[in-house]
Amino acid sequence: METLSPLMHDVAWPFALALAWVGGELGHRWLALPRISSYGIVGFLLAATQGGFLPDPADGSIALLADVAFGLILFELGYRINLRWVRANPWLGVTSIVEAVGCFVAVLAIALWFAVPLVPSLLLAAVAMSTSPAAVLRVANELHSSGQVTERTLHLSAFNCVLAVVAFKAVIGYWVLSEAGGIFQAMWAGLVVVLVSAGLGVLFGVVVPGLLRLIGGIDRNATVAFALAVLALTATTHALKLSPLLAALAFGLVARHRRVVLSQAQRNFGALGDVLTVLLFVFVAATLNWKQVVAGIELALAVVAVRTAVKVAATTLFARLGGITWRKGALTGLALTPLSVFAILLLEQTRRLGLGLLDEVSAVAGIVLLLEVIGPLVTQRALLWAGEVPQGGED
Amino acid sequence: MALEPFKTSAALSMGVELELQLVNPTDFDLSASATDMLHLLGRKTFPGDVKPEITEGMIEIATDVHTRHDELLTQLRQMRDTLLAAGDLLNVAVCGGGTHPFQRWFRQRIFAKPRFKEVSVLYGYLAKQFTVFGQHVHIGCPSADEALFLLHALNRYLPHFIALSASSPYSQGTDTLFDSARLNSVFAFPLSGRAPFLATWTEFERDYFAKMEKTGVVTSMKDFYWDIRPKPEFGTIELRVCDTPLTVERAAALACYLQALCRMLLAREEPAPAEDDYLVYNYNRFQACRFGLDGVIVHPKTNDTLSLREDILATLRRIEPHAAALGSRVALDEIYDVAAHEGNHAGFLRRQYAEEGGIQGVVDAAVRCFREGKAT
Repeated sequence: METLSPLMHDVAWPFALALAWVGGELGHRWLALPRISSYGIVGFLLAATQGGFLPDPADGSIALLADVAFGLILFELGYRINLRWVRANPWLGVTSIVEAVGCFVAVLAIALWFAVPLVPSLLLAAVAMSTSPAAVLRVANELHSSGQVTERTLHLSAFNCVLAVVAFKAVIGYWVLSEAGGIFQAMWAGLVVVLVSAGLGVLFGVVVPGLLRLIGGIDRNATVAFALAVLALTATTHALKLSPLLAALAFGLVARHRRVVLSQAQRNFGALGDVLTVLLFVFVAATLNWKQVVAGIELALAVVAVRTAVKVAATTLFARLGGITWRKGALTGLALTPLSVFAILLLEQTRRLGLGLLDEVSAVAGIVLLLEVIGPLVTQRALLWAGEVPQGGED
Repeated sequence: MALEPFKTSAALSMGVELELQLVNPTDFDLSASATDMLHLLGRKTFPGDVKPEITEGMIEIATDVHTRHDELLTQLRQMRDTLLAAGDLLNVAVCGGGTHPFQRWFRQRIFAKPRFKEVSVLYGYLAKQFTVFGQHVHIGCPSADEALFLLHALNRYLPHFIALSASSPYSQGTDTLFDSARLNSVFAFPLSGRAPFLATWTEFERDYFAKMEKTGVVTSMKDFYWDIRPKPEFGTIELRVCDTPLTVERAAALACYLQALCRMLLAREEPAPAEDDYLVYNYNRFQACRFGLDGVIVHPKTNDTLSLREDILATLRRIEPHAAALGSRVALDEIYDVAAHEGNHAGFLRRQYAEEGGIQGVVDAAVRCFREGKAT
């Protein structure tokens, strides 16, 4: 046993990923589940806390790899965002602000009502604003969906993630200030992290497409060049304790809007993105402990219900004004259900600051697990009901 | 169902239909947005007609009946601007061009309408591969026999329209070396090509349509995908070989070139069309598709070899008085520029590819052209 243990530790992750991939394919074939839902289920079951063989994922290189995986997804999302659209259709911006702020307020009220302390309640509310871009983008790409529900879901997801990060960092700043930290520390933890992370992303967005254009062979080289740049950007922001999420999103946005090169990376960054996505979703679910899930299930269910209701209400309310049918508006709100990956990676960062929301508010585990499995399924259904998926076009 | 009677219409009146591309402004791929666009456009009155086409990445607009170039152009511009405004609200770009340069046909979604579903079941992958974009021009005819005369008299001029409108050099991600790759997709259909040579409507109905109907292959004129076909319910002939140009201005100019040409043909100044004219028809058509204005065609009556470009320039000189009478000199000036100087839109798109170094840049340029009304 003594000699077997380190060996197990080393091979645990690769085998878990392989198992998750097989689970994803089988779940997709037999139950028409989105693959990422199955990855989550397998990751959760294999975690040590559930009696599986996966070691605690929080330490070690897996966390960095998960950041890279998510960075690739956020870059791709940023690249798909058209800011000119918000100018042409202001109702889209209004929808975004109302649904995100509405979620914050509603979830904060629920958490306080469940007697969760103020700072964790605020953090929970900030996290609940966001829609997981990983889930939304993966499901949309898996289905090859195209249309207003798809486009609006992606755009609203990107916007509410930015709003969530800003709100989250503001809460952290407030916490640092209230916990004996000085004003400088508070500023650093909040505002500066947001600005510097976004600034680094912008810098990459200017330099990388320029380099790519110089090198040429754009159609061929775009995927590799952008993937390497995301890798470098994530490693840098990770090391500097900045926000890799914000940086990657800013990188994608700027690369797209400067229009130096028009070719983009392959969807999902091809096979590389596929492999890293398996890792990402297994990683996220493996951070969860079933005891926490059970302990916080009531608050979790309440938050999930309220959050979904607010999102659907906001997107439906402004649907006609924004140029689509009520029905497509409501489906957009439903498609915004996923949450997990983004939340966990945000929370991982606070753990390093010594603020373990995941340990303090057990409901978070329940929310994440519920939405990791169910969220992608809801998005998948919403896109199918909207008629935005080609017949037989699914992978 | 027998062939419906041929309605008469004012001679040389014209109408234009354009099949347009709906494009995602981010990746420049086709965007399956016809349903969303039609919903939004349906809230206000559209300055003309707008309807779905076989796949969700396409939309078709049609003008009213016009006789003058300036009126036709005004309506086309109004329709364009309405489409662009709707597209802006939905993050959908709109553009011309006979093919989308890199769309994957198997990714296209058939528009949910019974006829399209039937066509899709019948033709399988051909239906999705038929995601190509053409301009159709209707010319009004005072009688059915006159329509058939015009249809056949135009046989020798058909390559002009292919070469002038050609805007589909790329297909499925590669340069096809054709100026109009779109027509290759059309030829794949069993009932495409030329109409049978029958000089009167009575003969056409008795000796061709009734027999075809009896075979069970066709039920109406809609089932024929001919290059030029009579359209009895409008009282027109419909020229279908043009690629949708990158601008509505070019579309109006092409329609008026056809109108002036028809005026000349109706004056019966040329020898009457004959079955043997069609001996060189497919060869000439291929030359125009493949080489555009640089094509070399064979004159069906004299068997002389002609440069397509020279033949267009010569034709422009001959129809000049007719254009003057119709008030469409401006339109012919644009056609002259295309033939003599700037070339067709296929050439423009190839230059964009060279400059941008990527196929997305080609679509981006097409989107800009459509909005600005000029290929620059």
